[in-house]
Amino acid sequence: MRDILTIFGLIVRQEKRPFLTGLLLSYLVLIAGLALLGISGWFITATGAAGLVGIGIQFDVFRPSAAIRFLALGRAAARYGERMLTHDATLKSLTILRLQLLKAINRFSYSKIIGFRGGELLNRVTADVDALDGISLRLIIPILAGGLTYLTAFAALYLFVAPIVAWVTIGLFFLGTGLTLSIAMKLAKAPSNRIERAHQSLRLRLIDLFRSKTDLIVTGNLQAQLAKVGGADQRLRANQRHVDTIELVVGVALSSTSLIAAVMALALGADLAQAGSISAAQAALGFFAILALNETMGPLRRGVTEYGRMQAAASRVNRLLEQGPEQREQRPCASASAVGANASPALRFQDVHYTTESSAREILSGISFDLEQGQRLALTGPSGGGKSTVLHLAARLLQPTSGSITLFGAPLASLDEAELRARQAFLPQRSMLMHGTIMDCLRLANPAISEAEAWELLKVVALERTIKERGGLSCALGESGLGLSGGQKRRLSLARVLARHPRLVLLDEPTEGLDQETANEVLAGISDYLPNSAILIASHRDAELNWAHSELRIRKNIFCN
Amino acid sequence: MPVADAASEKLKLLLAPVRKRLKLSGYLTTVASLLWIGQAALVAMLVASLLQPELHDLSVWAAALGFLALGACRIALDTSAGRISFNAADDVISKVRAEVAQKEALRSPQCAGNENSAALASLLAEKLDSLRVYITRYQPAQVRVGIVPLVILGFALWHSWVVALILFIAGPLIPVFMILVGMAARSASEKQMQEIGSLNALLMEHLSAAVDIRALGAVERSEDAFKGAADTLRQQTMKVLGIAFLSSTVLELFAALGVAMVAVFVGFTLLGEITFGSYATQLTVYEGVFLLLLAPDYFQPLRDLAAAWHDKASAVAVAGELAEREKQELKPIVGRGGAVEMPRAPAAVAWSGLHFSYGSEEPMRYQEAKVPAGTSLAIVGASGSGKSTLLALIAGLIPPSGGTLRIGELEMTAETADQLRSNMDWVAQTPHFLAETVRRNLSLARGHIPADEIDEALQSAQANGVVERLPDGLFTRLGETGAGVSGGEARRLLLARAMLSDAGIILADEPTADLDGDTARQITESLLALKDKGATLIVATHDKALADKMDQQLVLEAQNA
Repeated sequence: MRDILTIFGLIVRQEKRPFLTGLLLSYLVLIAGLALLGISGWFITATGAAGLVGIGIQFDVFRPSAAIRFLALGRAAARYGERMLTHDATLKSLTILRLQLLKAINRFSYSKIIGFRGGELLNRVTADVDALDGISLRLIIPILAGGLTYLTAFAALYLFVAPIVAWVTIGLFFLGTGLTLSIAMKLAKAPSNRIERAHQSLRLRLIDLFRSKTDLIVTGNLQAQLAKVGGADQRLRANQRHVDTIELVVGVALSSTSLIAAVMALALGADLAQAGSISAAQAALGFFAILALNETMGPLRRGVTEYGRMQAAASRVNRLLEQGPEQREQRPCASASAVGANASPALRFQDVHYTTESSAREILSGISFDLEQGQRLALTGPSGGGKSTVLHLAARLLQPTSGSITLFGAPLASLDEAELRARQAFLPQRSMLMHGTIMDCLRLANPAISEAEAWELLKVVALERTIKERGGLSCALGESGLGLSGGQKRRLSLARVLARHPRLVLLDEPTEGLDQETANEVLAGISDYLPNSAILIASHRDAELNWAHSELRIRKNIFCN
Repeated sequence: MPVADAASEKLKLLLAPVRKRLKLSGYLTTVASLLWIGQAALVAMLVASLLQPELHDLSVWAAALGFLALGACRIALDTSAGRISFNAADDVISKVRAEVAQKEALRSPQCAGNENSAALASLLAEKLDSLRVYITRYQPAQVRVGIVPLVILGFALWHSWVVALILFIAGPLIPVFMILVGMAARSASEKQMQEIGSLNALLMEHLSAAVDIRALGAVERSEDAFKGAADTLRQQTMKVLGIAFLSSTVLELFAALGVAMVAVFVGFTLLGEITFGSYATQLTVYEGVFLLLLAPDYFQPLRDLAAAWHDKASAVAVAGELAEREKQELKPIVGRGGAVEMPRAPAAVAWSGLHFSYGSEEPMRYQEAKVPAGTSLAIVGASGSGKSTLLALIAGLIPPSGGTLRIGELEMTAETADQLRSNMDWVAQTPHFLAETVRRNLSLARGHIPADEIDEALQSAQANGVVERLPDGLFTRLGETGAGVSGGEARRLLLARAMLSDAGIILADEPTADLDGDTARQITESLLALKDKGATLIVATHDKALADKMDQQLVLEAQNA
């Protein structure tokens, strides 16, 4: 429950007004229902009594019947307002949660972010956020509105019927719903968790079944994998049955609570009326009011069934949100602004070592080089040899284990993030685009870019014609750049990097997926566009090698310049 | 809309096997609802006996106990109906899941429909579950809606034609609005699903591009962009939801006004101010209270059905997806992909008159050929000449349209396919590993393999470096949730698996495509090492250097029909 409350707090803090109003309206809906039935019951019994003794003429029919009509209309209006407000607030809170999550993950270290790119983890995070939309709408608001309604009903019954009726019936409601909810939440937690795990393994096994189908068929494992899918399905169903049983029991407990409360209201009221201490109309009022309280039960029943899933999702999302940036806090020191002394090399590696955090495997052992301004240096060597690692270190996405890296004479670690990114730009090997127009894409890198500059950039990366054919800079790309071929995406990512006019450009296999001719055109474009920038490029093809001024070969801890 | 019709048809078909149980469950909840009439009569009689003890002789305790007993029956009926419909839903879902998984598993990996494994997996693992709420909530409500209001209307008519008229007018208006609500809610929920879906997609996209965003110094800008896009989505969603809520509010309004009008009419009649509406005798207190208690339950089934409309919309959507999948033509693999224990030995591969066609187009015809045991063959030819298809035919991954294929002594048929395949291994162009350890992936074809043998195979496939680089070596989890390996590394791992499999026939599809020169040479060497161990080697390739190393070359002509 703590995790759920934390998330609820997070959501409500930013959307106080709509939530409070929503809660108030939910309460009003319930109260209006209570009053509508209560007054109707009272009205009919009272008119019946008046009619029988022949004092019908004096009976004030105007106010009760007006109240009944007002409540019927008011209730519908309040319901509409409540739905609109709480849904809007919930959608807002989902946005807020996602934004918080995005912010938290954006501040993770590079290696952690890389871990998140696996589809499954992302799926999980987004599914978790989806599960949380019910926290306010289907758990907290109904509980609070229900509780408030019980208290109001207590006051009404106490004043207008009899204290004993109020104590007994509302006491039953509090006791019955409270006990049922707290016990059911405990009981449902473990099987709900198991349902989610079973779902997860079912999905993974199905993905394996479909994606690795060829291998499974050829190695004779297809039927075995199908059996594994069946196993996960069995596990899922067994736990779903378990939760359904809990739901049924919860249903029985809640229905019995309201049944017994209604019986008590009926019997106590009738008894008191027979004894003459209250009128028959008052007894009817009590009974009808209790009937109306049934309405508080429905949402609670649904909330309980979702509780297990919400709880698990909330604790995972909380854990993610709580993780602060574990990158060392990089404090810019005073000397940092002295960056840019023209004599310093653009990038200098001095005896840089790098060992992975996870497996303590040494990738780089003592690499040193200088990259002067206006120079192009190609890193070569077998895949997995450490070319990309050098680029990531230079982009400060990874931290060296030892050794020093300086950017235009200033230690890399001393620069603040904005200063660092203003001076250099990095094209990762698996660069990702986002949906939006070409202009949106370039503006992400450089918000001040003009259309003319954008066209110039597209020309540099040999995309001018393609984009013109597709309707120019306002041509919209789909998700992850959908609509462009692999090579075109690569070039657009490159244009995005160049749009920042960086003085140091770090490129990880920029022409991958391009044919020879286009590759040469793009490379020539880059050097024409940024003639004075230093360029460090991880490369495996001759076109890139020939374009570079010098080469640094990195191979299994041996460096030959 | 033919698409929606196909979806509704499919949904009907899915429920056909459990139709009887669903009817039973619906009738049980109907009986439970109708028991309320008895409870209402008891309450009305008790209230009337308080005012006119001479007319109604009913003790408080008899009334209370009767009310309690009927209430307990209702709870019991509702609970057993819930269990029955849960079981029915469970059967339907599990049956569909198993059938579709089996069918999709046997769909040839060569034909269309395999593109989106993740979407199919999530359809089977998660989305299918939305049938459950449809079956357990919508179906019984549909049965109730056809019976309960009619019965109550009959009771109302018996006592007062005005009350019956009020209900009759308010009631049929509801179905009119229900259709409106249904249409609005359906489009709203579809739209909303899309919006929420794209909100998720938006988050996914931002998270996948996190490295680029950081390297571009665009973290804050991207967060602002996310917030802006998410807010726009929310506003659009709320607009659509507003329509749906408005129509369902109208429905509630009619229900509330119906109750209010009954109450006011009954009250005025009892006072003697209204003298029409009932029959020969004036409306009694008993009748008044009874009718008031029945009025809300007249509308309740309609409201239940409206509340479950969303469930129906999502069930129809799921059925639609299933129907859509069924429309794709399905070519099954040859055999079942089961495990057969067979001695593995080099075998000859020969075919004659072999041809294949995906549909009605001109079939691809393959010239007769024979690859003697332990020799190698390169299948070469332009893209689209059918190289990969020939390889798939040899492995029985797709059924030939005609001709014979012999492996060793046996002809490839549905009966022999699994047995013949147990002597083969396949090196895919884009390998997909199971979400399991490297070790398990390597021993897929054989079960447990001693560690030194694995080391040896990794050595000769030049894949030991690949495994060393992984965080947990041989015990690293690969696939969706695990570590990634590059294309070249993955193929080297597959070669190691092929060595461990002791397969007599190795089939490799474009094993050197998209690799740099060094890596391509290593792969070629490893393939030749497999042949030297005695295996028959068949490769489909564009790579001339690789093709030249094979004993024979089979040149396929591009056959454009």
